[in-house]
Amino acid sequence: MRLLQVVAKDTLRRRRRALYTALGVAIGVAAVVAVLTVARSGEQRIYSEIDKYGPNMTVTPAINDVDLKLGDLRLGSLAVGENYIAEDKLPEIRQIADGAIRNALGIQDNGDIATIAPKLYMNTIVNGTSIMVVGFDPEQEQIIKSWWEISRGRYPEQQNEAMLGTRASSILGVDPGDSIAINGQNVTIVGILGETGSQDDYQIFAPLKTVQQAFGKEGLISSMDIRALCSACPVESIADSINKTIPGVRAVAVKQIAETEMNLVAKINRFMLALAGITLVVGGFGVVNTMMASVHERIKDIGIMKAVGASRKQIVRMFIYEAIAVGMVGGLIGYIAGTLLSYVLGPLIFDGLAVSYAPQYLLPALGLAILVTIVASVYPALRASHIRVADSLRSL
Amino acid sequence: MLEIKNVSKTYGDGSARVVALKDISMHVEDGGFLAITGPSGSGKSTLLNVIGGLEHASSGEVILDGTRIDNLSENDLVDIRRRKVAYVFQQYHLIPSLTALENVLLPLTFGGPVKADEKRAVEILQKVGLEKRVKHKPSQLSGGEQQRVAIARALVNGCSLILADEPTGNVDQKTGMEIMNLFRQANEDGHTIIMVTHSPDIARRAKRIVTLRDGEMVNEAEQEKCERPYEKEGKVR
Repeated sequence: MRLLQVVAKDTLRRRRRALYTALGVAIGVAAVVAVLTVARSGEQRIYSEIDKYGPNMTVTPAINDVDLKLGDLRLGSLAVGENYIAEDKLPEIRQIADGAIRNALGIQDNGDIATIAPKLYMNTIVNGTSIMVVGFDPEQEQIIKSWWEISRGRYPEQQNEAMLGTRASSILGVDPGDSIAINGQNVTIVGILGETGSQDDYQIFAPLKTVQQAFGKEGLISSMDIRALCSACPVESIADSINKTIPGVRAVAVKQIAETEMNLVAKINRFMLALAGITLVVGGFGVVNTMMASVHERIKDIGIMKAVGASRKQIVRMFIYEAIAVGMVGGLIGYIAGTLLSYVLGPLIFDGLAVSYAPQYLLPALGLAILVTIVASVYPALRASHIRVADSLRSL
Repeated sequence: MLEIKNVSKTYGDGSARVVALKDISMHVEDGGFLAITGPSGSGKSTLLNVIGGLEHASSGEVILDGTRIDNLSENDLVDIRRRKVAYVFQQYHLIPSLTALENVLLPLTFGGPVKADEKRAVEILQKVGLEKRVKHKPSQLSGGEQQRVAIARALVNGCSLILADEPTGNVDQKTGMEIMNLFRQANEDGHTIIMVTHSPDIARRAKRIVTLRDGEMVNEAEQEKCERPYEKEGKVR
């Protein structure tokens, strides 16, 4: 027979109390596991939402506004520089963006990585109404504006097909199937874009080549949106190198929004973890309490064990063994309860969030529970080891 | 050999001062069987506690095999309990969650001089007549059976000195005699036994009787012809 067996038998006999102790720890562990699990799924959700918010970067012509003043009198501002970017700069920009992402993520693949959507904005008059026509790359634009939905008709595929924003459609009185002339170039409207709440609602979208030809702007674009594949991509440094390498353009990263949002999430996570930690500490005191009660309950048994030759060290060791057993049970219960709790809390905190199961928290949960029970058992165990045989066996 | 030299024990101070033992001196040879008897409050249990290191004497010395054991630290007492002194209590004091066999194994588990050896524990349980109760828990055993387990536990790691405090105090007379037989047997196997009892019948079965009254030794009797419990067995039944 070994010491461990003695502890096992004794703990099993008092399994109800041991279970209460385990539950005290389990509550704290459950809180921690739930917070971590919800936070993990929530973070993924926020990243994917941020990814949906279009480009990480916008490249526009480098135009400097020069204020014209005469004494104190402002005469307005004058744009100095080109209004267009040459389309042939696109491969260069792609090279810089893809290169930086490859470096950052260690990708070997030579294919295109970043999504680059060039656009040419032109003002025109259709059916007597002034309106903005946007020359765009249907394929790339659709990737960047993942929230776009076609409310009627279909998405443009051919060079002579165009799409209208929902407001533009009602203002112009044009429906799918109708044909309109853009600066003399005929295109067929094949689809109406669902309402976006942005300026897209007031615009006509036609293939880039078609618009370039219609306005005699071959090889020119007004701006391009760039979206990297990942939220962790080094958008700022990509923008920097584009600005340094390619003259006449200005690249602006729009990552700040994402970072602000992630900072907020991180703060909320820290706050929730702190709460969970407090729960765990309270659970720890519960363990001290029940362990003290268990010492009290077993004063006689401890006295007997000392009378037949148990040393202080052995008594302490027995309590630590018990703490480990209680911690394992508590950790397991806490992990399961925390996971279940996260399925309930996740959708409440992040609307309708589908919490994903997080098996990687099982071992840390067990470790944490065992740590808490051991720390909480040290004092009771020391108290137990100091019990004197004569005091515990009063009837002697 | 156990020597007790001028042992006194007092509790409390001033007017609340109680003298439990007054200048007790005696020695017990190896292989001796001593019964300490006397009325309640005579100090017999206190004397046993002092001998066993459970209580410290106020003055005097207890010397076991040439070493003082009355002033030992807790750590040194662990060693004494593992190798030299075993206790048998009136209330048996078995661990309720363990079977008879496991209770007997307990001293070996805590590191007695003999390696934890189930065979030996079973043998000793056979010796005390409990071979059929090996797997029983204390709650499933009668008082007499529990005391047999307690005696087996005291014998298992070969301690030379067995201290027994009213070992028959909680059992009927017949069972008490059976318990005494076991102590006689253990004594014949070479264990020194010191037993506290208030019963003259039980005391008579020891080799020597010391009577205490108000903490003082009043009488020491060497029993020339100690009654042989084995011979009496037939009459008891």
